[in-house]
Amino acid sequence: MTTVAMSPQQAIEQPNGLVLLLRYLRRNKGLAVGLAIFLALVLFTVIGSFTVDLKHAYPLSVGLKKPPSWQYPFGTDFFGRDLLAAMVVGLWQTAVIGILAGGLGTLIGVILGFIAAYFGGFADATIRTVCQILTPIPVLLIQVVIASSLDKRDVTIFTMAFIVVLLAWMGPTLVIRSQVLTMKERQFVSVAKLSGVSDFGIIFKEILPNLLPFIAAAFVSQVFLAVFAAFYLAVLGLGPLREPLLGNIIWAATGQGAFFNGWWWWPIEPSIGMILILGSLALINMGLDELANPRVRRTE
Amino acid sequence: MRPRLLIKRLLFLVLVIWAASTIVFFIPRLSSRNALRERFAELARTGGFSSTDMEKIIASMQKQFGLDQPLLQQYWQYLNNLVHLDFGVSLYKYPATVTELIAQALPWSISLLLVTTILSFVIGNLLGAIAAWPRSPRWMRGIATPFVLLTGVPPVIMGVLLLFFIGFRLKLLPLGGSYSVGLIPDWSWPFFLDLMAHQILPALALIFGSVGGWVLSMRGMGITIQGEDYVNFAEHKGLTPGRIFRDYYLRNTLLPQVTGLALALGTVVTSAIIVEGLFALPGIGSLINVAIRANDFPTIYGIVIFITIAVAVLMAILEFVYPLIDPRVKNE
Amino acid sequence: MLKFKLAVAAIIAAAALAAPTVGYAQATPPTTGEIKPASLADVPRNQTLVVGWGVSGGEPIGDTNPWALPGYTHQAGNVLMWEPLMYFAIFKNEYIPWLADSMDYNADFTSLTIKLNKDAAWSDGTPVTSADVAYTFEQQLANDKLPYHANFVQFMDSVTTPDPLTAIVKFKTPAPRFKFEVLSLKFDTGIPIVQKAWESKQKDYTAVAGGTEIPHSGPYNIVAWNNVQKIYDLRPDWWAIKAGRHAVPAVKRVIVVNTLDQTVDTVAQRLVTNEFDSSTDMRAQIIGNILDQNKDVSSWTGNESPYGYLDWWPNSLWMNTQLAPYNDPNIRKAMSLAIDRDKINEVLYDGAKIASIYPFPLYPNLQKFADSPEVKAEEAKYNPGEFNLDKSAALMTAAGYAKNGDGLWAKDGKTINAVIQAFPSIHGDIAPILAEMLHTAGFDSDVNFGTDAYQNMADGKPGLYLFGHGASLFDPFEALNLFHGKYSAQIGTTAGNSRFSRYKNAEFDALLDDASPRASDDPKFQSDLAQALGIYWRDTIDIPVIQWLHRIPYNNHYWKNWPSSTNLADGTNGAFWAQTGMLVMTGLQPSGAQ
Repeated sequence: MTTVAMSPQQAIEQPNGLVLLLRYLRRNKGLAVGLAIFLALVLFTVIGSFTVDLKHAYPLSVGLKKPPSWQYPFGTDFFGRDLLAAMVVGLWQTAVIGILAGGLGTLIGVILGFIAAYFGGFADATIRTVCQILTPIPVLLIQVVIASSLDKRDVTIFTMAFIVVLLAWMGPTLVIRSQVLTMKERQFVSVAKLSGVSDFGIIFKEILPNLLPFIAAAFVSQVFLAVFAAFYLAVLGLGPLREPLLGNIIWAATGQGAFFNGWWWWPIEPSIGMILILGSLALINMGLDELANPRVRRTE
Repeated sequence: MRPRLLIKRLLFLVLVIWAASTIVFFIPRLSSRNALRERFAELARTGGFSSTDMEKIIASMQKQFGLDQPLLQQYWQYLNNLVHLDFGVSLYKYPATVTELIAQALPWSISLLLVTTILSFVIGNLLGAIAAWPRSPRWMRGIATPFVLLTGVPPVIMGVLLLFFIGFRLKLLPLGGSYSVGLIPDWSWPFFLDLMAHQILPALALIFGSVGGWVLSMRGMGITIQGEDYVNFAEHKGLTPGRIFRDYYLRNTLLPQVTGLALALGTVVTSAIIVEGLFALPGIGSLINVAIRANDFPTIYGIVIFITIAVAVLMAILEFVYPLIDPRVKNE
Repeated sequence: MLKFKLAVAAIIAAAALAAPTVGYAQATPPTTGEIKPASLADVPRNQTLVVGWGVSGGEPIGDTNPWALPGYTHQAGNVLMWEPLMYFAIFKNEYIPWLADSMDYNADFTSLTIKLNKDAAWSDGTPVTSADVAYTFEQQLANDKLPYHANFVQFMDSVTTPDPLTAIVKFKTPAPRFKFEVLSLKFDTGIPIVQKAWESKQKDYTAVAGGTEIPHSGPYNIVAWNNVQKIYDLRPDWWAIKAGRHAVPAVKRVIVVNTLDQTVDTVAQRLVTNEFDSSTDMRAQIIGNILDQNKDVSSWTGNESPYGYLDWWPNSLWMNTQLAPYNDPNIRKAMSLAIDRDKINEVLYDGAKIASIYPFPLYPNLQKFADSPEVKAEEAKYNPGEFNLDKSAALMTAAGYAKNGDGLWAKDGKTINAVIQAFPSIHGDIAPILAEMLHTAGFDSDVNFGTDAYQNMADGKPGLYLFGHGASLFDPFEALNLFHGKYSAQIGTTAGNSRFSRYKNAEFDALLDDASPRASDDPKFQSDLAQALGIYWRDTIDIPVIQWLHRIPYNNHYWKNWPSSTNLADGTNGAFWAQTGMLVMTGLQPSGAQ
């Protein structure tokens, strides 16, 4: 038996978190592009809030029907809104709806999914059955019916977020539930149980951290659905009409025959805005899918 | 089929219908709007209907429809009628019955909606599968992204743009309607061609908007499958990439998507609301649009329940078909 | 694998087959109401009139019976089937005798003698007789579901028929306006005459659709009707030709195309491509562009602004004057002072003078009334069209209001609810502008385009109601009668027939009661109404905003002789959907296009 001399342990240099992230983004182009667009939109909104007079996002503030120019880079609409200001305000209002509804939906999904999977038995059966029963129901249609039943003065950004969440939580619930079910059986949980860690401890210290990628993915897709549903309701004319939500602007533009009258910038700009928002969310979602599946996560 | 399983599935179906009909029952009642009054108001506004006894007529009609009873009692009556498949009379388009209205509207929607849903399913899933397959050429994987971005384009804008450029400027396709002015529907070749010509633009508007969704979900599915052992095994066995793609990859990713197909039929009706309005197609989407705007709840109930039943039944059928296609799946 | 392929192939095949098969469903036996002919006569495009229509989706298919209510509407082509005793040509200011040769009052307006044309006949060959006229009137009197029931109950005592061509109506009280308001068809008001034989055979005529079998006197028959189109064909045995009332119409077929919810863009495009000969009225900007893109298209004022004719529905901001704070005339006046009518003209109408201070349209006779010295004096006294934010502020502070942190008037923490209830299809452009003006002046204003807008108006909910006055056409009586105290509903009930203001004033009522039995040219009638109009302005019963224009596009590519400001034709307005639409459509001449 021989012994082999080993060189003294060298400190293994770990690149810091940021570098790892950037490297990952380089590989996962979809996620990178999505994040880039998203960041650009955030910057647009933030810078816009400071440099543009936001009161101009409401009717009769500026000259009417002016095409894009130096003074009004996005032009103005039939009612006298400065479309640059309208886009800034509309974007952050959309963000509020998305995050509020998305966050709420994910939260409900996580809580219900956990309860169902972890405690099993009757709770599990009930939650699972309720989710399955509600699935075939045409959700968007019901949301349209709700939105049009409300008293117009009650329709605000917050009620819209609420309507959107009402029937959107079933997806994340089932996903989280199935993930927790798999994890429950894994070794690290059994080990933790044997070591005497309490139920709560297991949930928060063992399972939750491993679920984070799935929760993140669910959150992003919930935000996507929320923004999409809110946008759809607004395009039908069911949103809070005075607010410059992107869907509202498009609704007003098609109602006044914008294309035929040659005011192409009026509906096109919010459409591009919508494409960018939903597109970036979709790309981020795609990227997170990969992240969540370690087998597929591209290695360097 | 084992009888216990059949009963379980039927029970599920019944529960779904009950849930849908209950949810949709209470919502329009939340507002104080009354479809009968809306109709009369409209007549008064546009037709010079100057009866000052409008209120009396409305009151007597409300009684006729049982609308003056307490809500819970109306609910029981409603469930009772449902069991007998009686959807009642439309309040807004009185005296047409809801079943009549749906029957009148269905032919104009069904071909469009079915064909576009299936087409976007096929195209979207194919693109999504290709996008996730690491061995696809770069450019093919890139195709997925623009389609995903297209989901952001509102069907309204897509439709208006299509009408404007292809219908108006280029005059290639008609500017709306189900068939040309002055024709009557009949079993003839020219009519069929005319009908199809009128469906192309609406179909495009619907497909463009929905392909992206399939691409996303399919790609997600594909990525999960990619990592599976049997795919690796197939590779190691030395099968050609094409064969692996088709027989091992595609087939397994496609199956779970099929359930989604049934669900998609439910959501396509909501997209149809906008598209049918744009193209003047008097189908289910237009019908529910008018019903929602007038708060004509019998019609709303009828359509929502109809769609729910269609989707649930389709899902049930697909679940029975599943084991035929994938022998691994056994009905528990 | 084979099974999988088979399954997929089966699904695709099924869908492909389903498409045309189901599309053909229309060719199978008709679902109830639809009218499906076995075949259609061949009529060339240049003998066909194609119009686009999509205002309401509520018309039940197959309803050709004017008494099938609710549901029947005359607007989408049914005017071609039903005729009145007389039409009224608003722009020529004269009656057009039709089924009746004459309708004459006695000296004190308590009886009306109607003489029918001897050739008037129904589509089944039987003549139109006084029995039909009497039946029409008596049913209106008896059946509270019919639209003019209330008018008949108020005025008609009885009707007698001394011979088949004469009917004599006796009134309970002098009814000088009955002949005009009820018995003549114009705009959207008046009654057609229906056949006694057919209607009396029905168990309940309000529930029978009529379809193709109901005998009518109008020149066209309905031949096809589904959700997509309605087709009417000319019947060569129309009585008016033999009677010399009208030449043989050049329009052999009328097709009403359902444009449902198509955007204005698309309907405009279908006009430009000559698919449509006319359509529903358009907003100013759009019609200007249509005229630019297709030189064959013209309007009431030719190729110039404002492109339309005056309609009878001038809009105001109404409010419930029995509800606080709207019950304070000073607050109402303060809101009126916030409206800049010049700005409205500039923004929405390219400077054309559309904004108005009257609750009635300025038709020739009404214009004369508005220009009369008495009315002018009242106008000078109250200056109803004034725009003055300072005066508005002064009135509000005098009423005890102060501006809060948001710049809105508030008292005890409550702002003034100035949410405007409106209809998106017709008020899409003006309502937001009005809301902003009120907002700037300190009123808590927004727009409610929801479907509960009309309900809120009828229930008298807080807020403002953007609505028209569909009343006066000839003299201002009906318009001012909208504010008569006897119609003002209590709070908590629903205001019938658009009387939303619930205004109650004894002085006002007295003036109207005095004017009611007088003829329109009676000088006392004129001065009573001038004073009543003065009170309307003094108390700001509602805030008049705009006259209403109908900008209807006329496509001259296939048809000419549309009524316009330079071509009076029959003297009616140019709307094919109005009760006088039949005259418009049968008056068209071919332009010679192929």
